[in-house]
Amino acid sequence: MSEKPVRAVKLNVINEPKDSYTGGKSSLCPGCGHDQISSVIVNSAWENGIEPHRIAKMSGIGCSSKTPAYYLGQSHGFNTVHGRMPSVTTGANVVNHDLTYLGVSGDGDSASIGIGQLIHAIRRNINMVYIVENNGVYGLTKGQYSATADVGSKKKKGVTNETQPIDLCAMAINLGCSFVARSFSGSKKQLTSIIKAAISHKGFALIDVISPCVTFNNNDESLRSYGYVKDNSTDLHAVGYIPHFSPLEQVEVPAGAYRDITLHDGSTMRLETISEEHDVSDAVAALTALHSADAERKHVMGLLYFDGEKPSLDDDLNLLETPLVELQENDLRPSEKQLDDVIASLRG
Amino acid sequence: MDRIINDFTINIATANGTGSQSANLILLQTLFDMGIPVSGKNLFPSNISGLPTWYIVRLSDHGYQAPGNRTHIQILVNPATWEEDLAALEPGTVVIWNTDSKMEMGRDDVISYPVPMTKIARGLNPKLARMIANVVYVGILAEMLGMDQDVLETAIAKQFGGKEKAIELNSEAARLGRAYFTDELNKEDSYHVEARDVEEGGFFVEGNEAVALGSIFGGVQMLSWYPITPSSSLAEGIISWLPRLRQQNGKATYAVLQAEDELAAAGMVLGAGWAGARGMTATSGPGISLMQEFIGLAYFSEIPSVFWDVNRVGPSTGLPTRTQQGDLTMLYEGSHGDTQHIVFIPGTVEECFEFGWRIFDAAERYQTPVFGFSDLDLGMNRWACNGFDYPNEPMDRGKVVLTKEQMESISNYGRYRDVDGDGIPYRTLPGSGLDPILYRGTGHDEDGTYSEKPDVYYKLMKRLKRKIEGSRDNLPAPVLREEDELDIGIVFYGSMENTIREIDDILENETGKKVSTCRIRALPLHSGVREFIEKHKTIIILEINRDGQLNGIIRKEYPNELLNRIHSVAYSDGMPPRAALYAEKVMEVLKEVGA
Repeated sequence: MSEKPVRAVKLNVINEPKDSYTGGKSSLCPGCGHDQISSVIVNSAWENGIEPHRIAKMSGIGCSSKTPAYYLGQSHGFNTVHGRMPSVTTGANVVNHDLTYLGVSGDGDSASIGIGQLIHAIRRNINMVYIVENNGVYGLTKGQYSATADVGSKKKKGVTNETQPIDLCAMAINLGCSFVARSFSGSKKQLTSIIKAAISHKGFALIDVISPCVTFNNNDESLRSYGYVKDNSTDLHAVGYIPHFSPLEQVEVPAGAYRDITLHDGSTMRLETISEEHDVSDAVAALTALHSADAERKHVMGLLYFDGEKPSLDDDLNLLETPLVELQENDLRPSEKQLDDVIASLRG
Repeated sequence: MDRIINDFTINIATANGTGSQSANLILLQTLFDMGIPVSGKNLFPSNISGLPTWYIVRLSDHGYQAPGNRTHIQILVNPATWEEDLAALEPGTVVIWNTDSKMEMGRDDVISYPVPMTKIARGLNPKLARMIANVVYVGILAEMLGMDQDVLETAIAKQFGGKEKAIELNSEAARLGRAYFTDELNKEDSYHVEARDVEEGGFFVEGNEAVALGSIFGGVQMLSWYPITPSSSLAEGIISWLPRLRQQNGKATYAVLQAEDELAAAGMVLGAGWAGARGMTATSGPGISLMQEFIGLAYFSEIPSVFWDVNRVGPSTGLPTRTQQGDLTMLYEGSHGDTQHIVFIPGTVEECFEFGWRIFDAAERYQTPVFGFSDLDLGMNRWACNGFDYPNEPMDRGKVVLTKEQMESISNYGRYRDVDGDGIPYRTLPGSGLDPILYRGTGHDEDGTYSEKPDVYYKLMKRLKRKIEGSRDNLPAPVLREEDELDIGIVFYGSMENTIREIDDILENETGKKVSTCRIRALPLHSGVREFIEKHKTIIILEINRDGQLNGIIRKEYPNELLNRIHSVAYSDGMPPRAALYAEKVMEVLKEVGA
């Protein structure tokens, strides 16, 4: 009996197969945009060559927040409470700033119950990736409108939404968020580059991903259906990502204009101009792009705003380089002599 | 006239924001430094400036620390409460009053000492007259009671630590007060102070600062907090001591985060605990209300986390600057569904320090939220203290698997599998690569995988119960004082410690009965509590709330045959417990039940 030839398994830069980055079987509706995002997360982490156990998967409550069970099975994670993932991530981040924090949330989790925590996480510039899987409805409770539903949008059942939506990207730009992007679950290439770049960025990276809800909000009258988004979105630029471990020279240089952005870990984000150049360091230009698209009932995609210089929370706290979780009793408990000194000073 | 020495209460009625607190602390420190057992209670409003404040100074050679049962000497400075304060006094009370306040002395049955406090102060420094006038009444008291001027000036120097001008100005104000009493007034009262042997090394400290220091010696790595009276000074105590005690080459071995609200503060504590660090927060009842959801998550997903509750008067915003033991049930059974939490209940500042570090060991040992339960009286008033004992045990970091070898030695590891039979599973930390799971607040099996199966949920809840039950006798044991009679026993907790001896003495004087006492120092209840109850014929559960919350807990947990002997005495009006009032309530119940 001849031996079967072993098919070579493709390995990433740290010699891990993609299987090391996958998770459990999804229990979401077939065709859900969130599952596409999960697979992009798997690809991005694998291609970026992060050790899977050095990632922390964080989420709140909702369809989106269930997804950490479906990717990165070798990573610890915390599926917390509704809208409160940012605070849990903050607490974990300051005691262990060496992990890659990958948060996934939804529009109910982020734009309603958790908007306060999201705002304060942005304000503190916590070093984390924060993906909003944004479909405009509450899926798990069977299709109520969320706070990001567009005016005039109509879901499968029920009335047209008349309430002004919250644009999380515009909000984040106004708050000085250091990395703000919008993408679409169906734009696999663009989303992969953006997530990889967000992982390489040090600071808070908000990625608002339109991710259609096939069960409650995928009809043609909805501004967040597959059909509508495909026909009505504009890309700010073509987004490419060149990892720090892969020399620039090997990457094909585009024929047209482009701009390279160097990220914290040495990787590069390459933004190729499509028609007009979008300056990602210009917050006003980013807001203008959002408002113009909005006026035309279109979605604008790409990296809206970027600030690679802003210190993140763990920089602000003057922390020891060694993550606090690694400190031992002799680091953490002051000496008996120090207690004597404290008491002497209380005695005055 | 008989001399009354070291056994009376001074009530000082001022307005907040006028500098009276400094004067009152100088008075307290002077008496303390003379070796006189003294306690001070600050009754302050929820306001920054201009509202009535009372400071009660109790001198007691018996060592009684509760506010006195009546006022013997009244300082009247605040026109806003003048008439009310005056009307409440018993005949014969000494009244030292500011004649510059444009108010009348409306009583002729009191001993009246009129003093132009503001005028005297203005003579010294017109700009600071309002502040200095407070030290003038300290001078009056010093002369009237016979306090030592050197000790007084030392206390002034301590209060104004190094500010020479302030020290000189205030010392002079005190001297002018003394001189005014000598020159213009005749001593008609019988109150005196006498120096006692000074216990070496004693100092004053607030319970909140003691918890703060205890937390630092317990190795706190992450403090998240949201400002709220009366717990802010606990967090601020940690913040002020940390840089001195916990830096390495100028870098912090800790993180402090002022959260956007109490929900976020709780979330940060869970995040730190999940990651493997010692996280804590400090708050009061309204904050604990907001943290309920996270408390349930910590209990169910088994995250070590520490929450200090410095109780103020509820419900709702309640009386934010008054004291109560009204949060006990909320802590013990916090969050929705079936829960049960460990609660540490200090009764002294020494215990505030000790429980401050011990609480982290309990949280990590049992992988659960653990509460420290203090109150405004214990937390924000200054208490005499002789020192803190250095932690006499190494840190207990609990059942954490840190290496592959360790993991291999555990047969059939699962994050939520009870492999040792003590209800406590092993855990691994994020970043370790050892058996990672997705922590969740949803139902989960022994491996941490989502499950709604009836038997899985049932077994999980039974194990959690067993885990916390197992902590009972490893938590601080009750402090017992048993009389030979084994007749009446009082069960109490927390800051009631500072009133119980006086209540005891009143009961013995009035009924001739010797009463045993049992001070609970933790929940779930230690087996010693049940033994105490079994030994005594009649049990009173004495607490500072309306409904008898500890009584409710005991009734739920103890067998029926014990319950007949147990009676609740619960009373709360916002004030620290006055012994006579609580003793009277106890006697009413004893009479009612024929004990």
